[in-house]
Amino acid sequence: MGTGMKIGLLLLTAFLAILLGVGTGSVYVSPGDIWSIMAERMFAIPLPDHIPTSYSVMVLDMRLPRVLLAFLTGAALALCGAVMQSLLQNPLASPFGLGVSSGAGLGAALVIVLGLSSAGLGTFLLPVVSLGFALAAVFMVLFLSAKLDRGMSNVTVILVGMVLSLFCNAVMSLLATGSPTYAQRIQLWQLGSFSMREWSAVGVLFPATVVVGLYFLRYAGELDVMTFGEEQAQAMGVDLRKVKGRLMTAVAVLTGTAVAFVGIIGFVDLIVPHIVRRLFGAAHRRALPACALLGGSFLVLCDLAARTLTPPHEIPIGSITALLGAPFFLYLFFAGRRES
Amino acid sequence: MNKTALLTVEHFYCGYGNTQVIKDLSFQVKAGERFCILGPNGCGKTTLLRALAGVLSWQGNVEADGLTLHMMPPKQRAKRIALMSQFSQAAFDYTVYEAVMLGRYTHRSGSLFSVETSADREAVEDALRRTGVWELRERSVTKLSGGQLQRVFLARTFAQEPQIILLDEPANHLDLRCQAELLESLREWTAARNRCVVGVFHDISLALAFADTALLLEDGRALACGPVGELDGRLLDRLYGMDVHRYMKKMYGRWM
Repeated sequence: MGTGMKIGLLLLTAFLAILLGVGTGSVYVSPGDIWSIMAERMFAIPLPDHIPTSYSVMVLDMRLPRVLLAFLTGAALALCGAVMQSLLQNPLASPFGLGVSSGAGLGAALVIVLGLSSAGLGTFLLPVVSLGFALAAVFMVLFLSAKLDRGMSNVTVILVGMVLSLFCNAVMSLLATGSPTYAQRIQLWQLGSFSMREWSAVGVLFPATVVVGLYFLRYAGELDVMTFGEEQAQAMGVDLRKVKGRLMTAVAVLTGTAVAFVGIIGFVDLIVPHIVRRLFGAAHRRALPACALLGGSFLVLCDLAARTLTPPHEIPIGSITALLGAPFFLYLFFAGRRES
Repeated sequence: MNKTALLTVEHFYCGYGNTQVIKDLSFQVKAGERFCILGPNGCGKTTLLRALAGVLSWQGNVEADGLTLHMMPPKQRAKRIALMSQFSQAAFDYTVYEAVMLGRYTHRSGSLFSVETSADREAVEDALRRTGVWELRERSVTKLSGGQLQRVFLARTFAQEPQIILLDEPANHLDLRCQAELLESLREWTAARNRCVVGVFHDISLALAFADTALLLEDGRALACGPVGELDGRLLDRLYGMDVHRYMKKMYGRWM
C-alpha cells in the first residue's frame, strides 16, 4: 500500500473517530443530525423537526469541544513523544521524562491546595500556573544537564529529569498529605480528564499543536540524522546543541500546554509513534503527520470509552490509556525480540 | 610530489575540559592520499578525527581545500569533510535508501519545503551502487548484518560528496571479506580527483595495507609522518613499546 493511501486511511479514521465521539453519549446523535446541527449554527438553516433544540448545545458546546480537545491532546502527545524519542535516540523515551508532567503536577497541586483564584484568569489559572511550572521544570533539567555535562549527553538529561521529577512528585505528595480534602482532586488531575469541555481550551491547544507541529516538521531532516547517533549528526553539519535545545523547548511548551488543560495522560506518546514507525517507516516527514492523526484518533476513542463504559461515572482517561497501553507495549516489545 | 595539499593542520590543540590530548600537531594530507594515523590507545587518534569533524572544539589552524575551517558553518564544513564514526547506530526503521539519502542533509537548504532534487537522487544511487548495497535499498537498516550496515554508512558518507573522508575504525567488528570490500570501495573513491581519506585503524597491518602515508602519533604529538614504505621500524617499536616487525613476522610466519 502506498504512503498516500495509508495517510488517506488515517485521515478517514480520524474523521470517523471524531464523528463517533461527537455522536455517542447519553443520547446518540447520527452523523446526519450532527450535520444539520452544524448547518443551523453556521448557516442559520433551520433544524429539522425531529432534532430537539437542546441537542444543539449538547453537540456543539459540550461534546464537540471535548472531542476536539481529546484529539488535539492525542496529536500533541504523540508528536512530542516521537520527537523526544528521536532526540534521545531511544524508542522508549517520553516527553514526561523531562520533568514536564511532575512540574505541571506540582503547579496544579499548589493552585488546588492553596485555593488560589484570579479574577483575570478565571478557570485558566490552573492551566497557566501548571504550564509555568512545567516549563520551569524543563529549563531546570536542561540547565542542570548543561552545567553537569557540556555536551548535554542523553544519559545526563534522562538522569537529571528523573531526579527532578522525583523531587517534584515528593513535594506534590507532601501537599496532598497536608490537605486531605484536596488529595482526591490532585489524584484525579494526575490521571487526566477532558471534562473541562470548553472551546477556550481548544482555542489555545489548537494553534499550539499546529505551530509546534510545523516547527517539528521543519526539523525533520535534523531529527532523521540524529537518530543515527549524535556524533555522526554533528559531523554531518547538525548544530547539535542548538537544535536539541530548541526542540526540547518546543516539546516542553506543547506537552506542558496539553498537560496543563487535561492532566497527565500516559502511553500515547510511547505507543502511537511506535505503531506509526511500523506502518510508515521512521522518516520524520511522514511519521510526524501520521503521529498527529493516529494519536488524535486514539485519544478520541479512549475518551469515548472513558465516558461511556461505566455511566454515570467517568473512568479517568489516563487509566484507559495505561490499561490498553501497558499490555500492548509489552506485546510489541516481546514480539520485536522474538523477531530479531 | 607535486600534488596539492587538501588538508593542512597547523599548531593544532584539542582536548576534553582541562586535559590537552593533542598538542601542537601539524601535518598535511595531499589530494589522492590515503592517510592513516597510527598510535597506541589513548594517543589521541580518535580525538583528532572528532575535532576535525566538528564534534569537539579545537585551537590552531586547519585548511580544507584552501579554506580555513575556523568559524566555518557546520553545514559548509560537512560539504568538505565527512566522518564515518564508529558510534553510528541504526535504532529506527529507515530503509537503506532513506538512510543513504540522509547523507544529502548537508546539501539541503533546511526549510519546511526543501525537497529531494535529481542531484540528490543521482548521488544516492551512485553511492548505493559503489558500495554494493543497491540490491538492499528497500530493506530496513534495523535488519542488516554488521557488514551490510557499515557499507550503508559508507554509502551515506559517499552521498555526502565530501572531499575528505575521516574514518574512525571503520573495519571494527567486520570479517575479513567485509573489511577488504570496504577498503576497496574507499580506495576507488580516493582515486578520483581532489579527494583524500584520513583513517584511524586499530589493526596496524590493515592500516599499512590500505594507506600510502602514515602519521605516527605519540601522546598527542607527531612522532613521524611520511610514506608508508619509508617508515622507520624502530619508531613503530617505540610507539607501541614492542618489536612490531618481529611480532608480525611471527604471527604471519607460522601460517605462511
